[in-house]
Amino acid sequence: MDTALLSISSFFPLHWLMPQLAMHIPDGFLSFPVILLTWVLAIALIAVSLNRVQEEYQERTVPLMGVCAAFIFAAQMINFPIPGGTSGHLLGGTFAGVLLGPWAGSLVMAVVFIVQATLFQDGGLTVLGANIVNMGLIGTFGGYYLYRTIRYALGRDSFRGIIVGTAIAAWTSVVVASIVCAFQLAISGTVPLMVALSAMVFWHVMIGIGEAIITVIAVSYIWRTRPDLLYKAPRTAPINASRPLSPR
Amino acid sequence: MLLHIGGFRLDIDSQGETIWHHLIPQTRVLCAVLFVFAIALTPNGRWWTWAIYGTTVTAIILASRVSLQVLLKRVAVEFVFMGVVILGTLFRDGGQVLWQWGWLRVTTEGLTILGSVSIKALLSLLVMNVLILTTSVPALLHALAALRVPPLLVAILASMYRYIAVLAEEFNSMQRAARSRNLLGNGERQRTVIGNMFGSLFIRTYERGERVHQAMLARGYEGFPPMADVPQTKQRDIVAITLTAILALSGQAIYLLF
Repeated sequence: MDTALLSISSFFPLHWLMPQLAMHIPDGFLSFPVILLTWVLAIALIAVSLNRVQEEYQERTVPLMGVCAAFIFAAQMINFPIPGGTSGHLLGGTFAGVLLGPWAGSLVMAVVFIVQATLFQDGGLTVLGANIVNMGLIGTFGGYYLYRTIRYALGRDSFRGIIVGTAIAAWTSVVVASIVCAFQLAISGTVPLMVALSAMVFWHVMIGIGEAIITVIAVSYIWRTRPDLLYKAPRTAPINASRPLSPR
Repeated sequence: MLLHIGGFRLDIDSQGETIWHHLIPQTRVLCAVLFVFAIALTPNGRWWTWAIYGTTVTAIILASRVSLQVLLKRVAVEFVFMGVVILGTLFRDGGQVLWQWGWLRVTTEGLTILGSVSIKALLSLLVMNVLILTTSVPALLHALAALRVPPLLVAILASMYRYIAVLAEEFNSMQRAARSRNLLGNGERQRTVIGNMFGSLFIRTYERGERVHQAMLARGYEGFPPMADVPQTKQRDIVAITLTAILALSGQAIYLLF
């Protein structure tokens, strides 16, 4: 069955549409048990992160989370070329995690998905829980902790640690989220597992590369200009802060 | 991505004087959510259930007198975006083989799932679009607060909604600036420029957040934004919710009883 999809993609402009679709599942694609489980997880994530964020930011919560969520929303509308000939857009899960930390980051991502699902019908209402789990919990929370592990292993205050951590976490979180999404579709009986896996994972390996490149460039820009804005900012000021990357 | 946004004026039909408009916003939200869940949770292949739901959705569309042209245009664009995922459900094993070409085969089960999933997605889209077209965003947010969504979450949603257009404009002007300096040439250059753009815009956004916070403090903000009074539930709201629940249940009952 996995060869099936490759040739379907030659009939239909899959390579153009697939990255645009990302992982926003529409209504009607998931079965009741999957919907129930993902909603419970999503509500728990939102409830805990609301409390954590409120503790950390106090009454700065509303304006800061609001503008950051609007930032991610607007950033997702910018298309950029992905190596391999297609174009995609940032999902921003790991980016939010690296800059705002796991709790504020996943809250921001959840808010973005709520607005996309309710106001813009980008992703269904019943599957909102699954979308939050895939891209908020796995993308941001999982992405952040992977980044943190790598960063602390390579040196908490080193540029190398932050960049390597960001790159690996950004790619991995996108690919893992797409695998989880494929399993959700397969368990619900909507799309056969092999088709779902080959379609989702193949494209998200590519999308993940784009995500990693853009996230690394953006994070290194912030490291060079305002390193204090990174979550768990480096304790020493970057030595020999060079100019931001510029196109040659 | 999100081609269907166009402008940020969503509630073009919110000033109507119909039965649907006379319901208070939280009733409309509750009815829509109830109905979307009922539609999406129906197991595949229950055509009669969707016949009932489809009739109800048509009745709501007609009763609310939304501009059909706008509604259909939005739904059509959104449906195209789903097209590929929907097609993925067609090619599978199981049931009778109806059509085969090499290893590519269409089976009865594939068709059943394709049909069911498309109907579910379409009906849910119609319901949500009617809600969004007839209810303004502030009214929606008040409805969420009235329905016991945590006030902090509603406040974050409200402040986010306020800044989407501002940030989208900042992104646009930055892209325009890069393009006018001929910086968006080949792929590698584009990625570098866009990555730097995200970095600098995040810094600006964070600083904007702090400025907004200062401005809010200067106007007497104490942690939670004030909420306007929510309209009282009237008899027709209770009738509407009961009617929705009865219709949702009767759709399911067809297959349980017969």
